[in-house]
Amino acid sequence: MLFLRYYLWIAPHALLGFLLIWFLRRGLYRQSPIFCAFVIFELVKFLALFTISRVLSPSATDVYRWIFVFGLGVSALLTLGVAYELANELLLSHSSLAGVLRPLLRWGAAALILLAAFSSAMLPGVSVARVANVFQVLDFSSSLFLAGLLVTLFLFGKVLHISWRSWPTGVALGFGISACIDLATAALRAEFGSSDFIASDVTQMAAFHVCVVVWLVYLFLPEGAPKFVGRGLEKSDLEFWDQELQRMVRR
Amino acid sequence: MIPLIFVLIGFLALASILYLVKGHHATGGNLDELTSQLRPIDVDAFRNLIDAREEEFLRQRLPAHEFRSVHRERMLAAVEYVWCAAQNAAILIRLGEAAKQDSDPAISAAAGKLVDNALRLRLYAFQAIPRLYLGILLPHTSLRPYFIAETYDIMTRQVVMLGCLRYPTRGMSSAL
Repeated sequence: MLFLRYYLWIAPHALLGFLLIWFLRRGLYRQSPIFCAFVIFELVKFLALFTISRVLSPSATDVYRWIFVFGLGVSALLTLGVAYELANELLLSHSSLAGVLRPLLRWGAAALILLAAFSSAMLPGVSVARVANVFQVLDFSSSLFLAGLLVTLFLFGKVLHISWRSWPTGVALGFGISACIDLATAALRAEFGSSDFIASDVTQMAAFHVCVVVWLVYLFLPEGAPKFVGRGLEKSDLEFWDQELQRMVRR
Repeated sequence: MIPLIFVLIGFLALASILYLVKGHHATGGNLDELTSQLRPIDVDAFRNLIDAREEEFLRQRLPAHEFRSVHRERMLAAVEYVWCAAQNAAILIRLGEAAKQDSDPAISAAAGKLVDNALRLRLYAFQAIPRLYLGILLPHTSLRPYFIAETYDIMTRQVVMLGCLRYPTRGMSSAL
């Protein structure tokens, strides 16, 4: 179990480092600057926490906790930034949709924040009086918000028949998997208390591992233009549309 | 109990994301097959169905219970039209995406406009359908989706424009 915990702590961050190198080499940081900042912050946070736990432990437990909670807060903010970046790239970049979808997404985000705040207060044994509880509230709220926002994004894309490019889809999918598992485990942690901490931690770390692997897979997927066969609109179709237009012009 | 609800929500959201992500990749397709799926729509007939004056005329001429029945039939027919327009728009999005890859910048730009309008029409369609159903329940409210007909007309014009650019010898310019 100890090996598994260390593996799930170190391996995703090692892969994240590898992803960052390729990300920077391909110049994708220009397209997704907030995602790039998120990856760098995650790596810095990991290095700081790992160093504290290996070098300063056990005298620095409080320092570790505070850095962990502070890191979680910053990560949550950066994740919301990435969600905004994804919404911008996947939906709002279509000029005709921006005007209608922007307020819808804004109201959706506001509703999700309210829901997250309300739900956090409803969970048993949670208050902001202690560091661990601050962590629980942050963990649960940001996961609920992100999962809700990503489901909304995917739903809009499906309903509107928008085909997405490979890389942003991969980022959204990775975050989606991680946020949904985090939401479920954060809720379980609130229910079962500290006895369940290790199991929920392992599950969340495994979800993050899957998330990083998904990003890597999508980073290396070939990004070619979709292949179409056939001629498209033929003469008979054009004549039909022509008649439609003539009728319209005559009106 | 509340945490378990959120566990369930988490897994449902995960299942939804995995299901929805399948349809998002730009995969291409057979344009001939797509074109054959386009269904004609009589925009005039649709306008007539949602025309407030027509509705007022029927209200004055028919007994109340008969008017409600006719009104319901008319609104359900309008819903069918909107669905059909939304499906055509989905097909035109794919056709437009294919045309956007054309090396001619004029064709690519025309295709871009077509895709934009088709997307807008789908968005409007999903706003219009609940309005039409609400119109069945509350016949006196003014919730008719006139913008659907307008957007469909613009989209039709852009398809013809795109056709003219791709097949200039087919004599379409007189229509414009």
